[in-house]
Amino acid sequence: MKKQTILILPALLLLFLFFIPAFSYAAGVDFSALWKGTGFPYFNLGNSVMILVGILLIYLAIHFEYKPFLLVPLGIGVIIGNIPFAHEAVYPLGVYKDGSVMNLLYQGVLKGIYPSLIFLGIGAMTDFSSMISNPKLMLLGAAAQVGIFATFLGALVFGFQLPEAGAIALIGGGDGNTSIFLSSQLANGLRTLPDGTIVQNLIGPIAIAAYLYMALVPVIQPPFMKLLTTKKERLIKMKPPRSVTRREKIAFSITGLLLTAFIAPAALPLLGMFFLGNILKESGVTKALAGTASTILIDIVVILIGVTIGASTQADIFLQPESLLIFILGALSFMMATAGGVIFAKVMNLFLKKENHINPLIGSAGVAAVPDSARVSQMMGQKEDPTNHLLMHAMAPNIAGVIGSAITAGLLLGFLL
Amino acid sequence: MKTLFITFDLNAIDAHALVIIIVTYIVVFLFLALIGFIFSHFYRIMNYYYKHRWEKGKKKENVETPRQKITGDENAAIAAALYLFFSELHDEEKYVMTIKKVSRNYSPWNSKIYSIWNSLKNT
Repeated sequence: MKKQTILILPALLLLFLFFIPAFSYAAGVDFSALWKGTGFPYFNLGNSVMILVGILLIYLAIHFEYKPFLLVPLGIGVIIGNIPFAHEAVYPLGVYKDGSVMNLLYQGVLKGIYPSLIFLGIGAMTDFSSMISNPKLMLLGAAAQVGIFATFLGALVFGFQLPEAGAIALIGGGDGNTSIFLSSQLANGLRTLPDGTIVQNLIGPIAIAAYLYMALVPVIQPPFMKLLTTKKERLIKMKPPRSVTRREKIAFSITGLLLTAFIAPAALPLLGMFFLGNILKESGVTKALAGTASTILIDIVVILIGVTIGASTQADIFLQPESLLIFILGALSFMMATAGGVIFAKVMNLFLKKENHINPLIGSAGVAAVPDSARVSQMMGQKEDPTNHLLMHAMAPNIAGVIGSAITAGLLLGFLL
Repeated sequence: MKTLFITFDLNAIDAHALVIIIVTYIVVFLFLALIGFIFSHFYRIMNYYYKHRWEKGKKKENVETPRQKITGDENAAIAAALYLFFSELHDEEKYVMTIKKVSRNYSPWNSKIYSIWNSLKNT
């Protein structure tokens, strides 16, 4: 480092520590008020820990490229949310202050607007071909939901209220948006239960846990996939999927929409938008709308949801024992969901003809982290046999997992709201 | 910040919670199984429908319709018109160079040469 560079830093520090107070004293300005106007005097250990968490999320996103489009806004949001704002009394800044810009943006989370819009975008990106060509693979998506139900029971055992347990359970579905949607309805810190207790605000911990585990799917899933399968099973080559017509895809979306509306109407904000996005894509006459939904719209909403969820993790709300429990339950539920999908694929093989056998590695894709868990199946399959391509097959349980977790969210909402 | 105190109570899983779990899981399973069942047979229905329609159309085609004949002179006129249209598309060329000058004149206002670090390096 050059001599001049070394001199600049102490000079700036001196300017800040001496000249500014001296100048403000001379001008008759109370320097302590100026100091109190900054974030420094209110800064505490909790904020520092959370800022480090934010930096860790950004590091994971940039260095390991784990879901960077989610973790970068989330990490920045965590940092923003943990800078104490001194001017709150005069000018609201924080996400929990009524009327502040962050608070207005946060309404998209609280009212479930962002998850619905993200589902619209996901629908406009999704191709149902793999699912329609081999519909029995949908059952793998249903089997992987076992993680949700195990977590529900686990959360109850650890002392969470029923609605809170329902919201936490959805982490096991592997879909961050569904988790946010359900927690914003069930565990938002606003609802009062019949016995007079107010549910805790768990949106931040649940969202961070869900997104973090979604990002860590390539780390969490492979050991369980390997543990639960034999080499012979991992080498199974599946029949290539048949081609699917546009009419079938459109019919699938409409059927899905109708079934959702009748069976789990509370899931319509998610699945209604999901199937709408897909019809926009498959109809072929609304390409511009499908294009906007799957690119610009979803990008904007992901930025907003990431930053606002991140900003909602203020140390005083986030650094609670419950958050630690949520992280532990979330990790267990991801593991159980992975195991559930893989074991169910093995059970299905017992009843299928040899030529129709399913590679159990695609069972883990029932966890709705689209498309990461399907990619993990492909990667694991290729490790055993580089000529075995499982991605297309794995997309079927992956999308079924998205639909299944959204239906579960709708049903839980119906039971617990 | 609260102290870490974890409760563990198996009695918290009551009949109400179990009913929620069992009913929800069965409904999710049935939902996906039902949609899977519908679409495992859907293409058969579609195949039957389109085969039926195709056969119907084939029968209709067999009915003889009077063919409209075009004379040789008319064919020649159409061919000539098409030839003239396609061969005379580029009869007038502009002969204008399309390479645009993209370089800008030098302006020192944002020159990197005068940045702080370069200034420090040069001293």
